[in-house]
Amino acid sequence: MQHLTNEGMRDRVNVIQGTNFVTADPKIVLTTVLGSCVACCLFDPHAKVGGMNHFLLAQPREGMRSDNTEAERYGLFAMELLVNEMLKAGATRSTLRAHLYGGANMHAGMQAIGTSNARFAEDFLARDRIPLAHRDLGGTQARRVEFRAAMGQARCRLVEAEVPIEVRRPAVVQDQGEVELF
Amino acid sequence: MSKTILTVDDSPSMRMLLRSTLVEQGHDVHEAEDGIAALEWLSANDKPDLMITDINMPRMDGFGLVEAVRAKSVHRDMPILVLTTESSDEKKARARAAGATGWIVKPFDPVKLASAIRRVTV
Repeated sequence: MQHLTNEGMRDRVNVIQGTNFVTADPKIVLTTVLGSCVACCLFDPHAKVGGMNHFLLAQPREGMRSDNTEAERYGLFAMELLVNEMLKAGATRSTLRAHLYGGANMHAGMQAIGTSNARFAEDFLARDRIPLAHRDLGGTQARRVEFRAAMGQARCRLVEAEVPIEVRRPAVVQDQGEVELF
Repeated sequence: MSKTILTVDDSPSMRMLLRSTLVEQGHDVHEAEDGIAALEWLSANDKPDLMITDINMPRMDGFGLVEAVRAKSVHRDMPILVLTTESSDEKKARARAAGATGWIVKPFDPVKLASAIRRVTV
């Protein structure tokens, strides 16, 4: 991992849950605060393009089967959106490098949601053969992540005092699952 | 009724999820990682009942694949469903013009996918 430097930074973009942002502008720093959510940072050192997403595996909707498949579909969707945006911006799948952050289990006694999110992200990267250059996952504290995407520079700090309130909403689009036969 | 389905997606994770969903629905599944690999599979095997393809893929994307498949008379009537994160009208129209049979937006709903498969493979 390259450590982030402040030199030349101009704009900060906050990547909130359920979104992603990809840029080739070295002056832009992507930031986010994570509890049990996970942020995947992708970087292509050849194309000098980078991006970040921020996701929480969706809980099954009412009436849906409460197995892992429903959650996995949303996780895959979040990852594919980020990869596709990277490719559109000039990156090549085979030269992508990844960082993973977050996945904390914030509340003792509750289901280990953070662990599930982290495990999903690690499994995805392994299956899709995207090398994981750096990971900072787990624990019980929130993290603040800054990623100078186009340069692949990252900084991650534990957040002692400001534990974010996460709004659990799935990373969905309005047209999800829509079927249109021509 | 069981169908032979070729799935085309550059993400091994997505191919795995599609495979498990389609096998659970009783289908026989084959996989290709992009448009070129799909064309190679089609030239070496009997025509499948259905092809499900992603759009954004390296080497040959889903649009190029649909056009190339439709250019071959043996595959002219094979149903092709596009399964993608894209949902713009412009891209849908492009897929339709290329010869796709239908369009499904990820993340897919297994029940809706099964219904679409039944309707295009009758």
